Amino acid sequence: METVFARLVVLESSLALLFGLGMLWRRGVPAYISAFRWQSLVLAAVAATVAHFGRDRELYLVAALLVVVKGVAIPWLLRGTERRFASERELAPYVNTATSLVVASLLVLFAYAIMRPVVAASHLPTRTGLPLAMGLVLVSLFVVTSRKKALTQVVGFLMLENGIALLAILGAYGVPFIVELGVFLDALMGFLVMQIFVYRIHETFDTIDVDQLDRLRH
Amino acid sequence: MLAWTVDAAQGLAALLLAPGVVGLVRWLKARLQSRRGAPPWQPYRELRKLFAKEVVVSTNASWLFRLAPYVVFASTTAAAFLVPFLVVPRPLDAVGDLLVLVYLLLLGTVFLALAGLDPGSAFGGMGSSREMTVAALAEPTIALAIFGLALSAGSTNLGQIVARTLADPASALSPGHLLAFAALFVVMLAENGRLPVDNPATHLELTMIHEAMVLEYSGRYLALVEWAAALKLLVFFSLLGNLFVPWGVAVALTPGALAVAAGSIVAKFVVLAVGIAVFETRVAKLRLFRVPELLSASFVLALLAVTSSFLAR
Amino acid sequence: MSPFALLLAPSLVSALLALVVRPYRRVVGWANGVLSLLAFSAAIHLWARVLAGDTPVAGDLLRADALSALLALCVSGVAALAAWLGPGVGADDGYDRGQARTFRIFANLFAFTMLFAVTTDNVGFMWVAIEATTITSAVLIPLHASRASVEASWKYILIGSVGIALAFAGTVIAYFDFVAMAGRDHLSLNWTVLRDAAPALDPQVMQLAFVFILIGYGTKAGLAPMHTWLPDAHSEAPAALSAMMSGVLLAVALYAVVRWQAVAQVTIGRGLAEGFVAMLGLLSLAIGALSLWSQRNYKRLLAYSSIEHTGLVCVGLALGPLGVFAAMLHLLNHSVAKSMMFLLAGRVLHRYRTAEISGVSGLLRVMPWTGGLFAAGMLAVIGLPPFGMFVSEFALVRAGFAAGRPVVIGLVLALLAIGFVGVIAHLNRMLYGPVPAGVSVGEGSRWALVPLAGCAAVLMVLGLTVPAPIETLLVRIAEIVAP
Repeated sequence: METVFARLVVLESSLALLFGLGMLWRRGVPAYISAFRWQSLVLAAVAATVAHFGRDRELYLVAALLVVVKGVAIPWLLRGTERRFASERELAPYVNTATSLVVASLLVLFAYAIMRPVVAASHLPTRTGLPLAMGLVLVSLFVVTSRKKALTQVVGFLMLENGIALLAILGAYGVPFIVELGVFLDALMGFLVMQIFVYRIHETFDTIDVDQLDRLRH
Repeated sequence: MLAWTVDAAQGLAALLLAPGVVGLVRWLKARLQSRRGAPPWQPYRELRKLFAKEVVVSTNASWLFRLAPYVVFASTTAAAFLVPFLVVPRPLDAVGDLLVLVYLLLLGTVFLALAGLDPGSAFGGMGSSREMTVAALAEPTIALAIFGLALSAGSTNLGQIVARTLADPASALSPGHLLAFAALFVVMLAENGRLPVDNPATHLELTMIHEAMVLEYSGRYLALVEWAAALKLLVFFSLLGNLFVPWGVAVALTPGALAVAAGSIVAKFVVLAVGIAVFETRVAKLRLFRVPELLSASFVLALLAVTSSFLAR
Repeated sequence: MSPFALLLAPSLVSALLALVVRPYRRVVGWANGVLSLLAFSAAIHLWARVLAGDTPVAGDLLRADALSALLALCVSGVAALAAWLGPGVGADDGYDRGQARTFRIFANLFAFTMLFAVTTDNVGFMWVAIEATTITSAVLIPLHASRASVEASWKYILIGSVGIALAFAGTVIAYFDFVAMAGRDHLSLNWTVLRDAAPALDPQVMQLAFVFILIGYGTKAGLAPMHTWLPDAHSEAPAALSAMMSGVLLAVALYAVVRWQAVAQVTIGRGLAEGFVAMLGLLSLAIGALSLWSQRNYKRLLAYSSIEHTGLVCVGLALGPLGVFAAMLHLLNHSVAKSMMFLLAGRVLHRYRTAEISGVSGLLRVMPWTGGLFAAGMLAVIGLPPFGMFVSEFALVRAGFAAGRPVVIGLVLALLAIGFVGVIAHLNRMLYGPVPAGVSVGEGSRWALVPLAGCAAVLMVLGLTVPAPIETLLVRIAEIVAP
């Protein structure tokens, strides 16, 4: 029973990481939103799996929150914004696709390296998925820094939050629920404010290409 | 003794079956595109026709041009003999393992590329350069993908890998295996000149890779090259089928087990042929500059496969 | 009544008031000012209780020890300044009603989140509050919408949120460490529990966690190399918001770092924890000091100075108990000085209509009082006596020698000297010289100068002596952080 749990969790975590890598491979914001949505749903599946095998009721609530907020609400809002800026595709990020993919794989290797002591210290059956969660965190960080369109950066940031949530679920079966709730609210608020800013940027600059935001230098 | 016979027989059977598999893929694609299509045994007719035809060679071609089809055919046949089709372990396992397989396939690719350059035609040179770009990215991925499996099996011997997966069925669902499967699938498409990397049915300048290289060939040379290409596809099919879904492969040399193994390998071929046909019908050809991106993506998948097998033990 | 209620409620009530009253009326601003003074007096009361040896708690959620008391004092003080001198109180301050209302709502929420962050015992909630500070302050930066301010706020919210997310990753890893050792317990994200369990935690995991936390909260504190958002955000924001951000938001982020340092150094050893902190501190000090030379905008000058001082505080934290004392004193001084400076800069901006240093000259002739206070504040900020920063920097140098790190101190002094010279040159250009065309001479509203003069007086007092109540408070803090 234990190993089925472990394998299932690792499988789902790999899937989450792969959706994260999808952000580097595909082009076009609808693809990114799709990848984010599927990743959030897989994350909810991880939470549900851990809730079932780890016998932790609270995680069912977390899974439900993930589905509702990150699986439905946020992608819907993003779609609305994306439709407004439909002409802006991520044509030329700072780092090209092939290099991004290689860098991402190196980041995953790095994640494995730094998570060694953490995996060694853990007794939970979910510990083999921990490096994958950290890999997702690092890859999302890379996405945020290497993309030029503001909307892509927002999706990258949301994936970063997903990665950290995965880290929490795999490492400690989630943080105390009330804190989790606070984190969700924060994420939602942060996202809404970012949305407002994307509109603001478009209003002021007539583009959401953050490369154009170069008035302030040194 | 029996083992050697079975080995030889399965290799020859593969040789004979290969054009049929290609024909099956073509026929399925035709059906999916609402055409009647030539029957699945059409490639056999084509081979017979080609063997009977006269060979026409460009005056600029050298001995390499004449030698290449034989080298390609021989190396691909050797590779086919190294891959487990019906039974593991086999006596031929001792002859070559994963790395030898990769090198044999690469040998064929290199000679074909050189042969494309040899007559000095424009199409040939273009095809060769594109082919080498694809090969440069695809070969390491094959090695890595199967290496990931080899790590969990503890040996690069192909028969051993299959045996190991048979012994531990749950490992077939591990991320390492699944990632390696995905990576190898993409590489199979690239190496065999299938959509979305190359269109096997086209002779348009902008889209040819494999077809460009063999444009100058005729008669028995063309027959050998085409047969080798079909055999290469079969080799990849059996790698995908037997390494990742090894159930059905015989572990003993009993007639019953062998019959089951034969049935299962044919079934796997059919499933993969259907898969390829459906995939090719759905997907459009990638623009050439995006092919390296696709191959980088599969390289990353293979790297992740190795990482998760190696570091997550 | 619980001291916390009186501390936290006024800002919430002010925000609510501003939300409810449409269109905005100045009486809301006045009410805000009074309520903020109420919060400030609650902070002083808390200070008194902590000095008496008491550690007020409210359930598992809120807890105020000496460190919390110091920061609550700084935050509520600067919030009060911003409430009285921010948009929506004076008659002509260049903001319309809608902007004033937005400011009142979000600035108060901002103050509330900061106060909550420093009084909660739960590190998870501390994180939630600090993330909320990013959101509430980012909304206010483009109060005057322009390309530069929108760009600044986008950078701020993106880098700030990403940094904070990394801090949460660190928190999760530390929590994981605790859980792996002690099993799940609903109190386990409380700082007191973590601190007590610290000796038994796995050092390597804690090391990883601390690195993430340092990078994460360091981003909010303006530590290099994650500081790139700071000059933009602090220079483009309205003056009262810059005062709050530079004066106390950096301090609150450093508070988070200090809380975690207190736990981490027990687990991974003092040397390693201090090493990480000192490295980032020195880097920030260097970048801040060196950048001061090439500044053309006086608000950016103040922002880079904040980076310099944040670096200095971090270096202090790495020098043992004496260093912690010096660092916290420096934090206090910096809050007072920097908020005063930004508010003065706001007045200068309002009169001269340009933020360029080259556009400002003859300040002493145009606005004698403002100019005088500006000069005093600038001298204070670069560490001259008789102001408080000199005393805290001196204490830091002494701590450095006591801890046996003369090289570090030498570096610090050299960088401070570089910064000093850079600023003096700019200051001279601004204070003297001809009055530019189109700038009216005369002070304008004088009553706004009263609180600012009060700040200068506080700085002078702190420059001549460290009063006993403050000293005791700082000693208590040193005991908490580096026992």
